[in-house]
Amino acid sequence: MADRKPGPVIPREAASLRTMTATMAVMCYLACLAIGALILINRAVDNWARGLSQEVTVQVREIEARDIDADVSAVISLLKETPGVTGAEDIGREAAEKLLEPWLGSEGLDALPVPRIIRVAVDQARPPDFESLAADLKQVSPGASLDTHRRWEDELTRMAGTLTALSVLILLLISGSAVAMVIFATRAVLDANRQTVDVLHLVGAEDAYIARAINRRFLATGLWSGGLGVLLALLTFFILGNAGLPQADGLASASRSLFYVPGASVWLVPLALLSVPVVGTMLALVTSRITLLRMLRTLP
Amino acid sequence: MLELQNVGFRYGRGQDILREVSFRLQRGAFSFLTGPSGAGKTTLLRLLFLALRPTSGRIHLFGEDVTRLPRTALPPVRRRVGVVFQEFRLLDHLTTFDNVALPLRVQGQGPADYSRDVMDLLDWVGLKKQAHAYPPVLSGGEKQRAAIARAVIAKPELLLADEPTGNVDPVLARRLIHLFAELNRLGTTVLLATHDQGLFKQVRAPVLHLQDGTLRTL
Ligand SMILES: Nc1ncnc2c1ncn2[C@@H]1O[C@H](COP(=O)(O)OP(=O)(O)O)[C@@H](O)[C@H]1O
Ligand SMILES: [Mg+2]
Repeated sequence: MADRKPGPVIPREAASLRTMTATMAVMCYLACLAIGALILINRAVDNWARGLSQEVTVQVREIEARDIDADVSAVISLLKETPGVTGAEDIGREAAEKLLEPWLGSEGLDALPVPRIIRVAVDQARPPDFESLAADLKQVSPGASLDTHRRWEDELTRMAGTLTALSVLILLLISGSAVAMVIFATRAVLDANRQTVDVLHLVGAEDAYIARAINRRFLATGLWSGGLGVLLALLTFFILGNAGLPQADGLASASRSLFYVPGASVWLVPLALLSVPVVGTMLALVTSRITLLRMLRTLP
Repeated sequence: MLELQNVGFRYGRGQDILREVSFRLQRGAFSFLTGPSGAGKTTLLRLLFLALRPTSGRIHLFGEDVTRLPRTALPPVRRRVGVVFQEFRLLDHLTTFDNVALPLRVQGQGPADYSRDVMDLLDWVGLKKQAHAYPPVLSGGEKQRAAIARAVIAKPELLLADEPTGNVDPVLARRLIHLFAELNRLGTTVLLATHDQGLFKQVRAPVLHLQDGTLRTL
């Protein structure tokens, strides 16, 4: 009985901390969503970019006084001789017209000069020198042009960069608000316990001791709210992935893909999400400690 | 042990509470501090446990000038001073036991180190049964004794008590005075502030009289 655990120097009940737990949980939740979005964007862009760079096409436009069929076969034979090219195939006039249909309609295409499209398979390991290939193609047929989709790739990468920057900005804003809130909560807790803190000082406690005693409250708060935030985020991803909302089809498969990815990166997302309560708690602890030590210094 | 030289004090821009107060307390001394209510007894004690800084003059404690001590240097000095506050200042969220143990706890001791001492002391002041009760349920006299126990648990060299008999009946008052005399006999220097003239008859000790901001020895 005599050696039982002593009561907490700073009382456990603190209304200001309860508010903080709720707000902190929301912030951790938002942070988790931002991280999920960040991962999804980068993964999607990766996939698209990979798909794009595998596909190279050559367009042969009809030019007056030239036989387009001859041009096409000349282009194909040049392609087949080019190192790094593993295959070249004319998709045919009908298929080419089909590609244009959405823009021009199906009627009257016969009268138009529809470019012929040659699909080129490229050895991913040793791709051809596209620049000299483009020049060679122009030699064989002035109407031929090489489309490596590099423009699209650049566009995608730029967009991904923008979205990534946005997500990081959001994370920074969330962290900033969290810091501000922890400072407020720390002040509130200190104000609510001023009498206790005075007594502790008068019986010879050092600032660091008092800061530790108050900080202990923030550890529990941080872990609780962080865990709650992650749980809510996981629930959100799960619901999005399984709700089967037709208008959110892309979102659903994206949410699912966050977790059911083939390969080694299955742990990436859970680990990234788990870092939220850890980082959040450390942020809360460091912030409240600095705030406490600064505020205690101003007391008599 | 303790020396004040021409100490003056006022709260903010208010009037002078203390003017040119000088006195000296030898190690092992027992002394009363008296004066009418509002004379500045509590203020003087606050200066002595370094909760206030004098407006003028110098204070020496344990052979060290503590007049302008930086904050970080306060805890070690305060650990050598025990204080019984006029309004007790017990922490309501801690048991009597934990309240009394507080000065040891803030020094880094754990229950294994202090449990016996705290229990013995609670026994000595007659609070063993109330060890695990919380201050709000204690009577005035019990709180008073708990406050005294907390002040002496860390074996301070100097004990400052502010009206330690102000809330108790004469019988308990006499017992508490004897408790202080006993602590003094064991080596603690005691300065006891009271406006109760009746106490002087029980212990023969010098009386410092504070009135109109100045101090006289009776
Ligand atoms: N914190 C304070 N701020 C301003 N004036 C105070 C404060 N504490 C005490 N006083 C004033 O100082 C004077 C002395 O008070 P105090 O030291 O408590 O006297 P005593 O303990 O002898 O009754 C009183 O006039 C009181 O109103
Ligand atoms: Mg007083």
